Amino acid sequence: MSEEKRRPGWWLPAALVVGLLLGVAIGFLIPRGETLPADGSPEAGFARDMSTHHSQAVEMGMIAYTRATDAEVRMMARDIALTQQGQIGMFQAWLREWNLQPTGSQPAMAWMPGGAESVEDGLMPGMATPEELKQLREATGIEEDRLFIKLMIDHHLGGIHMAQEVVELSDEPEVVESAQLSINSQQRDLTDMQNLQKRLETAS
Amino acid sequence: MSTPGPERVPSTVKVGKTTGQGKPPSGKSGKTGPSRPGGNRPAGKGRKPVTPVKVAGGRNWGPIAVAGAVVLIAVAIIGWGVVASLQQEKKQSVPWAERAAAIAGIINYRESDPDLVKGSQHKNGKLSYEQQPPVAGEHNPSWQNCNGVVYSEPIANEHAVHSLEHGTVWVTYKQGLPADQVEKLVDRVEGKEKLMLSPVPGLSTNVALQAWGYQLKVDSVDDQRIDEFIQSLRINASIEGPTAACDGGVSATGSVPQS
Repeated sequence: MSEEKRRPGWWLPAALVVGLLLGVAIGFLIPRGETLPADGSPEAGFARDMSTHHSQAVEMGMIAYTRATDAEVRMMARDIALTQQGQIGMFQAWLREWNLQPTGSQPAMAWMPGGAESVEDGLMPGMATPEELKQLREATGIEEDRLFIKLMIDHHLGGIHMAQEVVELSDEPEVVESAQLSINSQQRDLTDMQNLQKRLETAS
Repeated sequence: MSTPGPERVPSTVKVGKTTGQGKPPSGKSGKTGPSRPGGNRPAGKGRKPVTPVKVAGGRNWGPIAVAGAVVLIAVAIIGWGVVASLQQEKKQSVPWAERAAAIAGIINYRESDPDLVKGSQHKNGKLSYEQQPPVAGEHNPSWQNCNGVVYSEPIANEHAVHSLEHGTVWVTYKQGLPADQVEKLVDRVEGKEKLMLSPVPGLSTNVALQAWGYQLKVDSVDDQRIDEFIQSLRINASIEGPTAACDGGVSATGSVPQS
C-alpha cells in the first residue's frame, strides 16, 4: 500500500526531468531547424557561379595591377582583385555552412530564369574570352590600361546583373545584403571606370 | 587445495569474535535466541518475507532520492548553462547598427543625411567636407593605408574618407594631446586592420571617432564609448563589404591629397 503511494510521487520529478530535457532539446533544435539553401537553390547557384565570375576578375585585376601604367588604373585593379578574392572566400564559407559542395551538378546560371541561355561558350555574362585574356596579358603601355578598363566594365555589368537576380530570388538575409552591397559598390566602380576610360582615351 | 583450509578457519573465527551471533544459538539461551532458530525451521518462510520487505523498501528509496536530487541539480546546472549561453548569443547577435545607435552621443549621418552616405564617386584634388573631421562623401581614388597605421602627423581628408568607405574606423585626436593620452589611443589602433590614428589640428574635442556615416566626439581617452564605437562599426560600416582593402594606398602624411 505504502509502496504504491510513494512510487508515483517519485515519478513526478522524473517526469519533470524528462520534460526539462525535452524542452532544452527542442529549444536547441528550433533555431537550427531553419531551412538552409538547397543544392539547386538560387543562393547556391549564385555562390558557385559568382565564385567563377569573381575568379576571372581577380585574374584580370592582378594582370593589370602588375602591368598597367596609370596609377589610378593600378589602384582600381588592386582594389577589385583583393575585394573579389575576399568575397570568393565568403561564398565558399556560405556553401560549407549550408552543407553543400563548392561545385554543383547544374549548368552555369541555371539558377537564374533564362540564365542558362545567357551562357556563351561556357562563359557567364560579362566574362572575357580566352583570346581577350591573352590580349590583356600581352598588351603594353597605355593599351594595357585601356583594355583592362574595357574588359572590367563588361565584367562588372555581368556581375551586377547576376547579383540583382539573386536579390530578387532569395530571402536569405546574408545573401541579399551582401549582393546588394556589391551591386552598389560595383555601380560606383562602373562610373569611376567610365570616367577613367574617357581620360585614358586622350592619354598617351 | 591449500587455499580452502586457511579461508575457512579465519572466517569462522572472525564471525565468532566480532558479532557473537554464532554463540547464542549454540550456548546461550534467551528470549531472542530460541525464537530465531525456532522460527527458522518450522514457519520461517512465512515470517521472513514480511520483515525484509519493509527494511528493503526503506533502503531502496534513499538512493533513488539521492539520484533524483543529483539529476535535478545536474539538469539545473545544464539548464542554467544553456540559458546563459543563449543570452550570450543574443547579445552577440544584436545587429551592429543597433549597437552603434545605443552609444550615447553618437551622430548617425546615415539617418540624418542619406545622400551624404549613399556612396560617392572618386574625385581628384582637394575636396571640402561639411563635417570636421569628415565622415563620408566624395574622396580621392587612393585610400589612406588603414591596416592599424598610427600617423603622427595630420593626414589628408580626401584619402581618409576613402578608408572609411572600406570599413575603417578613423580615430583622431586634438593635435598636441599629451603623449601619455595619445599612447592609450595607439594601444587600441596599432597593428589592427581597418583602424588608423592621426592628429587633427584644432579638433573641437580631445578625441573624435569616424566611421562611414558615423561620428562620436569625446573628451577622455579612457571613455569606454571609444571601444564600443570601434567594436560595433569597424569593418561593419564598410559600404564595400567586409573584404575591401586597406593597404597599397597612401601612407604619406600632410593635408594635401596625393590623388
